[in-house]
Amino acid sequence: MTPANALRLNAIGLLAICFVLSFALADQLLYDDLPCPLCLLQRMGFFAAGFGIALNLVLRVRTAHYGIAILGAVCGAAVSLRQVALHVVPGTGSYGDAFLGYHFYTWAFIVFCLIIAGTGLMLLFERQFAGEPEVSDLVLMDKPTRRLAQTAFLLFGFLAVANGVSTVLECGAGMCADNPTSYQLLDKE
Amino acid sequence: MMSLPFFLFACGLGAAWSDWRNMAMGFWFAGLVTLLVLFRFHATEVLNIGL
Repeated sequence: MTPANALRLNAIGLLAICFVLSFALADQLLYDDLPCPLCLLQRMGFFAAGFGIALNLVLRVRTAHYGIAILGAVCGAAVSLRQVALHVVPGTGSYGDAFLGYHFYTWAFIVFCLIIAGTGLMLLFERQFAGEPEVSDLVLMDKPTRRLAQTAFLLFGFLAVANGVSTVLECGAGMCADNPTSYQLLDKE
Repeated sequence: MMSLPFFLFACGLGAAWSDWRNMAMGFWFAGLVTLLVLFRFHATEVLNIGL
């Protein structure tokens, strides 16, 4: 796999993570489905995993960056597995809405597993690491690839800030409530 | 407190955009450690599963 193809696949992967994060944020804003602490931790897991892919896009494609993605996804998967385990026994209820038959934390676990598998697969192709040393792969790419990579990176950064601001509004400076019902900082009382 | 990792990751992305790789990695590591510490505080209930 050439560095150009690796960069394109990284950009598509990061856009897929952005889609998941945007979907969760849209559900929160449009349907007032406030994220619980474990839900927020899973979103952080997506940022921790996507961070490695983002580094591939603006710096160089490196094995260490794929390692970052795997470590982040493992942490996120641990959190989502914990939430699945909390509700896996019949009669223990659930949190939030279901989508296509699965709750968001189950989908999160599936996506984290896909990130780990996809990253492992990418590591099999060693030719992608043969780019110019100390030069970003991005500057050597054609314009559409560069645009795709920059769009994915900037969208990912925007979502990180948006989630940070939304969490401040929901939880203030402290810890979040286990079952949040309103934005702490927007309450009029 | 719960928003801290999001901002750490955002700062890391800013550092990466500015080509400061080591600083970006530092922000990522700090974000990941904060995530794990927060997870430790929220994973307190005993799971109701008999394996």
